[in-house]
Amino acid sequence: MSENWVLKEDEAIELLALLITSARIQMEEPAHYGPLRLLTATERLSSAIIERASEKSRDFLQANIERIPDMHMQMSDTDAYAAGLDELCRRVAETLLRHSPLPEDDS
Amino acid sequence: MSEPILENIRTRRVVREMTDEPVAREQIETILEAARWAPSGGNLRPNRYIVIQNPETRRLIRLVSPGMFQKAPALILICTNGDVLAEHSLPPTDRALLIDIGTAAQTIMLAAHALGLASGPVTSYSKEAVKVILNLPESYSPEMFICIGHKANTTKRGMTAWKKTSWRDLTHWERFPDA
Ligand SMILES: Cc1cc2nc3c(=O)[nH]c(=O)nc-3n(C[C@H](O)[C@H](O)[C@H](O)COP(=O)(O)O)c2cc1C
Repeated sequence: MSENWVLKEDEAIELLALLITSARIQMEEPAHYGPLRLLTATERLSSAIIERASEKSRDFLQANIERIPDMHMQMSDTDAYAAGLDELCRRVAETLLRHSPLPEDDS
Repeated sequence: MSEPILENIRTRRVVREMTDEPVAREQIETILEAARWAPSGGNLRPNRYIVIQNPETRRLIRLVSPGMFQKAPALILICTNGDVLAEHSLPPTDRALLIDIGTAAQTIMLAAHALGLASGPVTSYSKEAVKVILNLPESYSPEMFICIGHKANTTKRGMTAWKKTSWRDLTHWERFPDA
């Protein structure tokens, strides 16, 4: 576990603005824009917290900042997009394990 | 294609990464003057333009605009003025209004391109939040931002090339045959 504070109040409010306005505009936009908005939030949150984050998270956050801008502009290739998202899911799971290591199975 | 207007149309691309370099006031005025010449349904001219250059206002606009990836030094917001509609008893759903926004938007982007500036349209924002941030008059409906600036030297946020569709694939000549 890391218990660092990584986000300032202004940064948190900015993220809330993105999430709330995304929820609203998504009602009128194509369904595949949903992942785009969530990825935009991921990129912005990663940028906001990377400086104060611990070593355990830093590579993961850096990868989000570098990869997402290219990834989410290439939505038209659905297979490549899904593969990119799967890669992010693997990396977030690895990061979770780094923060909360699970006990070895000793059965 | 050597005809300059056709060349301008063909080479304009949406730019989503811009530098901080400001856009000169005269250039913005030239662009707005061009927009004035865009065709308008019934020649009613319901469009109004709001120019935003103040950095803090731009920052707040961007925070409520999930589709605005650019940190553009200048924004032109195309609004529809409801008072013009009321005068002519037109409903806000009149489709000429949307087309007017389109003719103005393309004119603005082509004018910017002709001046060597980059541009990008944005419709993915909360209208209600934009109205609050800009303190818009009740009758103004914020319809589309055009971000204006200078292209950053990066390939970041480039779209994958549009499928090589020719105009032929998009066009049908004359009446459709009976089934
Ligand atoms: C009505 C309309 C709304 C648009 N909204 C956005 C937007 O919110 N964000 C964005 O990045 N691009 C937006 N675009 C730009 C399109 O994505 C872009 O024109 C398209 O991908 C083709 O790229 P090109 O103009 O460079 O050929 C919009 C374009 C139009 C015509």
